[in-house]
Amino acid sequence: MGLSPVLFPTFTHGLFVSRLDGLLPPLRLASLGLGLMLAALPVALAGEEEAALKKWESTFDRDVLPIIQQKCVECHQGDDPDGGFDIAQFQSGEIVSKKADVWEEVGKRVRLKEMPPEGSPPLNDQQKGVLHRWLDSRPADDTCASLATDETQAWYRGYVMSRRLTRTEYRNAVRDLVGVSIDSSIELPSDGAGGEGFDTAGDALFTSAIHIERYLAAASQVMTAATPEEEQGLQSTQLAIRNRLLVAVPDETLAADDAARQVVAGFAHRAWRRPVESVEVDRLLTLYAAARARGASFVAAVREPLKAILISPHFLFVVEPESEAGGIQKLTPHQLATRLALFLWSSVPDEELLQAADAGQLSTDQQVLEQTRRMLADPKSRALGENFGMQWLGLTNFLTSVRPDGEVFPEYNDALAADLYEEAVQTVAGVFREDRSVLDLLDGQVVYVNGNLAQHYGLDLPTDAPWQSLTTTDRRRGGVLTLGAVLTSASYPRRTSPVLRGRWVLEEVLGSRVPPPPEGVPALEESTVSQAATLRERLEIHRQNPDCASCHNRMDPLGFGLENFDGLGRWRETDAGQAIDSTGKLPSGESFSGPEELKAVLRGRAGELKKHLVRKLLGFALGRELNKFDQCVIEDCLEALNEHDQRASKIVETIVVSYPFQHRYFKAAN
Amino acid sequence: MSRVANGAASSDRSAAISRRRMLRGSGALLGLPLLPSLLRGAESSAAAPAGEAGKPPVRTAFLYFPNGVWEKDWVPEKTGGDFELSPSLQPLADLKSEVLVLSGLDKKHSHGGDGHYAKTANFLTGMPVAKTTGKDISSGGISIDQLLAQHVGGQTPLPSLELGTEPVISGIDSNVGYTRLYGSHISWQTPTRPVAKEINPRVVYERLFGRQVNAQTEEAESYQNLLDYVLEDARRVRGKLGRDDQFKMDEYLDAVRAVEKRIEFATSGKRRSWQPPVDAAELAGQKPGVPADFREHIDVMLDLMVLAFQTDATRVCSFMFANDVSGRNFSFLDGVAGGHHELSHHENNEQKITQYQQINRWHVEQFARMLEKMRSIREGEGTLLDNSMILFGSSFSDGNRHDPDNLPILLAGRGGGTLTPGRHLAAEGQVPLCNLYLAMLRRNGLELESFGDSTEELAHL
Repeated sequence: MGLSPVLFPTFTHGLFVSRLDGLLPPLRLASLGLGLMLAALPVALAGEEEAALKKWESTFDRDVLPIIQQKCVECHQGDDPDGGFDIAQFQSGEIVSKKADVWEEVGKRVRLKEMPPEGSPPLNDQQKGVLHRWLDSRPADDTCASLATDETQAWYRGYVMSRRLTRTEYRNAVRDLVGVSIDSSIELPSDGAGGEGFDTAGDALFTSAIHIERYLAAASQVMTAATPEEEQGLQSTQLAIRNRLLVAVPDETLAADDAARQVVAGFAHRAWRRPVESVEVDRLLTLYAAARARGASFVAAVREPLKAILISPHFLFVVEPESEAGGIQKLTPHQLATRLALFLWSSVPDEELLQAADAGQLSTDQQVLEQTRRMLADPKSRALGENFGMQWLGLTNFLTSVRPDGEVFPEYNDALAADLYEEAVQTVAGVFREDRSVLDLLDGQVVYVNGNLAQHYGLDLPTDAPWQSLTTTDRRRGGVLTLGAVLTSASYPRRTSPVLRGRWVLEEVLGSRVPPPPEGVPALEESTVSQAATLRERLEIHRQNPDCASCHNRMDPLGFGLENFDGLGRWRETDAGQAIDSTGKLPSGESFSGPEELKAVLRGRAGELKKHLVRKLLGFALGRELNKFDQCVIEDCLEALNEHDQRASKIVETIVVSYPFQHRYFKAAN
Repeated sequence: MSRVANGAASSDRSAAISRRRMLRGSGALLGLPLLPSLLRGAESSAAAPAGEAGKPPVRTAFLYFPNGVWEKDWVPEKTGGDFELSPSLQPLADLKSEVLVLSGLDKKHSHGGDGHYAKTANFLTGMPVAKTTGKDISSGGISIDQLLAQHVGGQTPLPSLELGTEPVISGIDSNVGYTRLYGSHISWQTPTRPVAKEINPRVVYERLFGRQVNAQTEEAESYQNLLDYVLEDARRVRGKLGRDDQFKMDEYLDAVRAVEKRIEFATSGKRRSWQPPVDAAELAGQKPGVPADFREHIDVMLDLMVLAFQTDATRVCSFMFANDVSGRNFSFLDGVAGGHHELSHHENNEQKITQYQQINRWHVEQFARMLEKMRSIREGEGTLLDNSMILFGSSFSDGNRHDPDNLPILLAGRGGGTLTPGRHLAAEGQVPLCNLYLAMLRRNGLELESFGDSTEELAHL
């Protein structure tokens, strides 16, 4: 018997990657040869601030001052220094500390190659490295109120923030604004991910021609469906949808053009989630006028600007215009409202949130928190499960990509897959909506099932029972670890994989990293392996190799603790006639048997789950990779959890009032 | 005049007006959503004087399959015209004279990085893939299919088609430091802009052949007005954005312009340089349903590609049999029990190698089936296959080692008489894959000095 369909199969075995590569941003910066400076710098701890500052000052004296004296002082000294800036006054780090702000400007000018000016001897790469490293190592006084910018972080280029809506956000937004869902035949292209692993990362969202085709088709479809020519014969829901869009219709007292203006202005306000200028409405109305000129009816003609509103970048993009100068800017109430809605609902603001922004009632933390609580309680917060949750758990493509083998698992079908997926969505969403402890995600007592899924799991419910939550006490189910969708997707098509499951728990629940297997680790000798009868024995042989053991000792035991679940997540006591051995022992010495004890052990590592979940949620909310300036928010979230029985809402509430969530940084457009 | 007044776009206004007049006069059929109906194209060809068909154009496609090959069963032993097909290439037995087997080609910029993402995103660019989990995504260069589309795409309703079977892989791989979207894209419009691919056959069909909307000129006009309007919106928004964000608005602007061009193409009544001999009635009956399984999905997508080439809907196409690292279950093959990626990590285990090789061979079978179909379609003096260059390959050689050298590459067709298939050419030394791409580009009329990391044009094709 050959070794291991088990070994590493879904890993990407990396080739040699130098340490430096990990620190370098791609291409553009690499070519400058200065990547080293991006090394993450430790954030000074409270008690150590003094010492850190001293060290920073002495680094200036030792490393930076000689460069300044060699390259800068000649022009920037005396009573009439160039640019009015006397750099010669900074003869020691101590002086620098007192006027540190100026030095951010120095760093910026050097970075932009504005200084030394053309014609003067430039700083060489080594000198630039010394300068920027030193600037970056300035002890942070309060990262809770700062962002990564090109002034606070060397060679910082910023992130794309005016991103387009993701596929999910777009669908939800159209549904919520128009009241009609986009027909499933209008299939939008899927999105990839960036940042902390989410599709909300603007840098990883691209727009192709086929997007535009779909946007056009979708706008036509929903607007035609939502605004029938005649009111007569419509059911009340259809009528409500129509009236919500056609807020005015021409009659004896209202001219058609004026009615059109009201309709268009109203919808643009909602869809673009901001006040709309009258010149913008004018421009939209030219589409109406053009249709009227062709002889279209009022309704048909007004549909044209309504469609345009939905394919305009004002709708499709999260547009956060910048100030002339660039730099850090606090979000306007309307921008904040949109960020909130995208975070909590994966959609756009509703009327109430928009009105709060209009009325300037989204400026204090209290106002933001009130809206946040209202939004978490709204059914639309299901998006935290469906969008955030499924991306976090790696189940986004569960319905299309996970295909257990039909020969081994003939029971698996689309309906079961959909139920497994729904269970996962409700499990994550439920913790937020019901504001339970986030530890329920690890080891909860609530299980979401319908009749079909209950039958699959062997729970006692009629097969046609609707979705409901059950309380379990045996610790077998409950939490994300033992979700059928997770157990199925971390299996092979024909059998379970303790390695895949163990790795999944380590990475997605505990936030650990599992590096790819080292290159050049020889496969096990055929003869040794073939003598080993069981999967467990084969993996044990495998772990005798120290190169393999360092990771597999962490992963495999976790996976073995889940062996009582088969490749579709059903409970089992035996496999092919053999009793299941679900014991595992971790490098820490902790041992367990079965999912109940595994969960108890993992509870002891709840801190890892909490930190990982917070990072993930913050990364999802911000749509970018986190950096050292976000550390403060993470710590605040963890503190808030500990002070409030680990309740999930506390993470969300901490994020929405945090500095990074309410501010953004722009790289000026020249 | 009902066209929307649009200050900034005044330069193309007169063209637009005449376009509109043309449209009114012609009673064009428009595909929905949006796309030009080829049926219309066929009609106008009927109206064209007989005997003016012109020379059939060259069609070029790039077919990618994931997870490499078992080299020992792939590379034929002998070179030249007298070679014998290797076990994995056996499905090409009847097509041996139509295919060039190319071995020994190398992608030097993929020797670093991780095992998959740094190999696949640049399959058609040949340049270094930026190591990133999201920021500054780059495949190092424009892909060959997109460069071709820029050059020849203006002559067809669609500049190019980008097809696949799976949605973009979600998430990032923080262990190796790459976003997984790299594994889902081989077509890159610019080094930093992957092109979304179409995975639903029904949608592809609609894009190619549309639904007939008789003389619905209002619809066309509506679309054009809407697009003009949003173009202007985007220009205004762009001016208020930060630098990086402006790039995103540029993408949007380019995408809108591309759709405008397609509508324009459909409504312009432009005479084509070459009109395909296509029976409209025959095409209308070929609308695909929703494929029941993976095999059928591949079948239908390859059929659509042939149909697109046959009808001259496009001359450039890329296709991903699956995303990289695809764990697709291949147990439907006799003797195979497991997923593709899982088995590609064969660890020199005989049993796994056998199954891996069977999966490789299955992909070659699908390729052969497509070639057979193309060979059966008469066109000009020869066949559709004669007028094509169909590349088929993977982005590394051995799935266990992920080596980007000795790449498994086949090139089928005669490129309109510019290729001499029926041979095995083995490159010696580190010959860039891009040398082949340069040769293909030049055969499409692009007189380039170089492409990607090419050192010279691959000779003796």
